[in-house]
This record gives sequence, C-alpha cells and structure tokens, in this order.
Amino acid sequence: MSRQKLESLGLKLPLFPTTSVGSFPKPDYLAKARAEFNKKRISEKDLHDLERKATAFWIEEQEKLGIDVLVDGEMYRGDMVAYFAERLPGFSISGLVRSYGNRYYHKPIISSEVAWRTPLTVDWWKYAQSLTKKPVKGMLTGGYTIMDWSFNEFYPDRRSAALALAKVVRKEVEALIAAGCKIIQIDEPALSVRPEELPIALEAMDLTTKGQNAYFITHACYGEFDKIYPGMLDLAVDNFDLEMSNSDLDLLELFRRHPFTKDISFGVVDVHSHRTDSGEVVRKRIEQALTILPKEGVWVDPDCGLKTRTVEQAIEKLRACVTAAKSFRNE
Amino acid sequence: MSATPGLYLSSAGGYPRIGDSPELQALRRTIAALDRGERSHADLLDVQNDVTRQVIAEQVKAGLDVVTDGLIRWYDPISHLAGKLDNIEIKGLVRFFDTNTYFRQPVFVGAPIKRGNLAAGEYSFARNALGHLPTPQGKAGKLSIKSVLTGPYTLGRFSLSEQSGDGSSEAYASLEARAQAYAEILASEFEPLSQAGAELIQIDEPAAIKYPNDWAIFEASLALLIQARDRITKSGRKLELALYVYFHDCAPLYEKLLALPVDIVGLDFTYSPKLVDIVASAGSPKWLGLGLIDGRNTKLEDPAQIARQIDRMLPKIKDQRAFLGPSSGLEYLPRDRAFAKLELLSKVRAELKGQKRQ
Repeated sequence: MSRQKLESLGLKLPLFPTTSVGSFPKPDYLAKARAEFNKKRISEKDLHDLERKATAFWIEEQEKLGIDVLVDGEMYRGDMVAYFAERLPGFSISGLVRSYGNRYYHKPIISSEVAWRTPLTVDWWKYAQSLTKKPVKGMLTGGYTIMDWSFNEFYPDRRSAALALAKVVRKEVEALIAAGCKIIQIDEPALSVRPEELPIALEAMDLTTKGQNAYFITHACYGEFDKIYPGMLDLAVDNFDLEMSNSDLDLLELFRRHPFTKDISFGVVDVHSHRTDSGEVVRKRIEQALTILPKEGVWVDPDCGLKTRTVEQAIEKLRACVTAAKSFRNE
Repeated sequence: MSATPGLYLSSAGGYPRIGDSPELQALRRTIAALDRGERSHADLLDVQNDVTRQVIAEQVKAGLDVVTDGLIRWYDPISHLAGKLDNIEIKGLVRFFDTNTYFRQPVFVGAPIKRGNLAAGEYSFARNALGHLPTPQGKAGKLSIKSVLTGPYTLGRFSLSEQSGDGSSEAYASLEARAQAYAEILASEFEPLSQAGAELIQIDEPAAIKYPNDWAIFEASLALLIQARDRITKSGRKLELALYVYFHDCAPLYEKLLALPVDIVGLDFTYSPKLVDIVASAGSPKWLGLGLIDGRNTKLEDPAQIARQIDRMLPKIKDQRAFLGPSSGLEYLPRDRAFAKLELLSKVRAELKGQKRQ
C-alpha cells in the first residue's frame, strides 16, 4: 500500500530498502570543533564549514555502502529536542539536569507560546540532497516528544503543549516538502512511555502530517509497546522505524496477535554494542520478520541512531544492514 | 498511634547534585577526572560528602522539617542499592519510567548477598551533617532526617536474572523471588539504620502503582519490611515507615494503599487530577505525604492555590498530620529551580497560617 505511495511520489525503491535512523557519530575534528566553539575559540562559520564537511563525508559513505534512503547524519545537532528548542520562539533553556551517570544537559523550557518563523532543517536537507541522487530523508522530532522532553511553564496541560508543538512541526514539514523532500521521518521516542497518553500522540501526529504529500516514517524506541499496540498503528505515518534487535524481536509476538498494518523499518543491528552482530544473526532477524510481515513493507536499518558509536563501528553496522538486505533481494 | 497535628515540610528524596555555577559542579568534574584516572575514589568520597552537606543545608535553609541526604551518592534509584550486593551484576541502561533518565539494570547471577551495610553508613553521615548545622530559629528539636530506600518490588521489577552455569540464579527467574530477595536484604538494613538513629524510613515503590496486577507480590515483599519495623518498635525504639509512590496515577489504588500497614503514604498528585477531591471526601486513616508540588516541572505553583487544596484535605487526614513535599525527588530539575520548589513549601505553610510573605 505504502509502496504505491512511494511510487506516486516518484520514488522507486528496491525490496528491503536500507536506511538509518538519523544520527551518525561526529568525526573527531567536528567533536573538537564543537567544544572549541562552545569555548568561543572558533567562529560559527568555522564550525559550520566543518559540519558541512562531515555531512559530505557521511553522504559519501552511505553512497559507498549502497544505502537506498540516506540521512544527513545530524552533524549540526547535539540533541534531537534541544536543536529545535534552541531555535523556536517560545523556548528558553534551563539549568543543567542529569540524564544518567555523569551526563547532564540543558533541558528546554516552554516559557511562552511556541511558534515557527523560519525553516530549521531545510538548508541542511537541501545541502545533503545536493550531494546525492538517492533520496535523503527530512529528519524532525515530533510534537509529543518535544513536549515530553521539555519543561512546560506556559501551556495549561501536556496535551495543549503537544498540539501546539505539532502545529510548529507541521510548518517545518511543509517547508521540507516545498524544498522537494519526499520522505520525512518524525521521531517520537517518547511515544510509549505514558501509554495512557497515546491519544495525545496520535492527535499531535495527525496535526503534523494530515494532508501532507510525503512518505512519513516515525522512529520509536525504549518503551512498553505491549501497552500501546495495536493502538499505535493509528499514528498518521506510513512506516514505523522500530528497535527490534535490542529486545530480541519480542515485538514480533505482538504482531502475531494483531497484524502490523504499516511499513516497517526493522532494526536488525543492535546499536548499544561496540561489536557488530554477525551476518548470520542479522539475516536470521530478517527471516524471522518475514514469517509475519509482507516483504514489500520491510525496510532494513539499525535499531537506533548511531551517534554513540565510533565512525568505524557505525560504518560496520550499516554495512551489515546492507549486506543482509541485498542477500534477500536475490531470493 | 497519635502525633502532633500539623503540616510538616518534607523532602521526597533526591536533589540535584550539581548546579550551573563552576563551584556547584565539583561532583561532575571529580567523576570525570576519576574516569580519566586523574582522581581517586577517596577524592570522590570527599566531594560526595561536601555536596551532601550542601544539599542538607539547602533543605534546612528552605525551611524544611524533614530532610534527606539528597541521594547524592546514588548512580540511580535501582543500581545504587542492588549494586552493593554480591551476585548481582549491573548491566545496560534502561529508561526509568517516563523521566527520560536512565538506570543501570541489575541482573541476578546467583543468590544476592549483603556484605556490610547498604544505607546505614550514608544515613549516619547525613544525620551527623544535619547535626552540625546551626539550628534555625524555631526549629529546635523539630528538624529530622529520613532514610530513603527504593522498595523491594520496584527493585525486583527492574532487575533480571541470568542463567548461571551452576543454576544458582534460576531461583530468581520470577519477579516474586527477586522482590522477596530484595525485601529480606532491605529488612535486614532496618536494624543498622535504627541503630544509626533513623526514626523514619521512606520506601519508594513507584512500580507498585504502575503495575497494579502485581499487587500481591508487592504486598508480600512489603510485609517483610513491616515485620522489621515492628521488631524495632516492640523493643521500645521509634521507627516509622513511609511508603512513597509516584510517576503514575495512584487514585484507583487509593484505598488499597491506605490499607497497607505503613505509617505514612506519600502520594504524587501530579498524575491524578481527582486525588485532592478523593482525599477531601474519603479522608485518610493514615498520615499522608502530599506531593502537591510538581517535582518534574520547573513551573512554580501558586502557593495560595496549594494552600487551598491542603485546607480541604488536612481536616480529613488522621491526626490532621501531613507531610507537604514535591511529587517526587527533585533531581529532575535544575538546582536553582529545585531550591525554589523547596522555598515554595514554606510559602504554602505561610499562606495556611495567614501570614503571606512578600
């Protein structure tokens, strides 16, 4: 069904299209440059030039690996919510809060009405797309997750905040489509953390994507999917990108009980480990997927973003995805 | 059991361990230096001690009656206690409820064994630190410090068991077995805590209201802690047990929570829009912890509005005695805002006394 949508958008993808979830590790020179920039030792332009260099590197690597749907690798982003919050009117940035261990971050605060004034990701998407003939995904974070990962000092409740943000994200979707983007991923990693709020997440995504002419993917991870499945299938996207390997494919059991009705970007490689799963293990995961899911709807990618891995590890994990996917195309 | 009526201002557990100014980031810097091999564990202990003293002082400065050590030494609410046990290995990161923070997951590889004390040493240090602070005006004999322990059910719920070569961990494959194992160990900590001067132990069981189908398992594990408390109170010492639940709507379980043989039930009001009405109407045969201040959001509540809510509930609570505090530990907030939330507690009490400040 969604394959027809892809074709109507002029996208002819092979069976088992390969992609990645969004982020890639920043090369050492960029990681150092970001630290230097924070200490005001280099200019914004210097940093920007290096971000472009790193983006070009990752586009080239994805091309070499033979990936079908590319990403820009988010070389210019630190965090998937903070990037937007730092640029959208309505947000301020809090003092440091702990994420885990010795890691702290500045959590955004919704302190007044949120608004969209200017595109936030379009120039980066255009740049990345200019470097390849293959489709590059537009990469956004959904209104529900931005709400959940921010403090809210303005809106009366979580629903109002999520819906206001969903409308803002819609503006960015419109800008990406106007620029020529045909596949847009809107990540909602917070989707399953409060199962009782699934209706809010559904409403928010509806506000963002309804009537928009693009193929939409959402990525979700780390959650209690048993509590939101099959209700989550009502999310207004074409493709769910799910972390399958890290949970030993236990979501397949849910899919057995109630058919999975969307396309799926099936995470076949664990991203939390330094080592790459063997080709045999990755192939086995796809085989198991195909016992339940129609092959026309299965995309292949790593479980999650690869930014916490080294450049070499990330490339190896991507290679494992591509090798496995290609081996199934010929069968 | 009866006690002095009144509204006590109480911490709910954790407190931010760093702030934004360089002098408030000593702990972060020290851990990073330790990771690089440039500082020792003794250095870390020194800094943890300093920060613990600071956060106790901040709670006292904010006007609290019942403080904690801020859980400054805890890596997270699950692995801190579990990681001190033999035959439990601490593994990968798992998201802690809906907080977007992470804990390291304990895995049973055999029968857990406690060596030394789990919390009594930390409690003893904190109690001593509180004792060394100048007593604020009007607080003589009224300031106390409680011990906070993550409860056995929550620890068990977020632990796994791994098949060991000799089969010794298979006994912990069930949640029930893990919760009981943790309960036995935590119960054995009550005596050293009491010996160290603890008269109030707070047991955090957020998972109990998130997974109500496991209520029997939760209740059975709690029973061991109740027995441990009773052994101490029968010997003539004072020890009260508080059960704190948060991060989920507790309203559907209100009656069941109040039926548990604990002394205080601490409730998170932020997930339960109807909870004030329920307490105001049904009352409580137990002292309550009133988590009316949102410990997860920077927005500062209106003290007058909180005071009105307390006005409705307090007359219906046993002995008209309650503990006003944040809905959960405050470590999810920036340090400055956490302090502002604590100051808010005093403003609420001032409202109640008709002595509005400013």
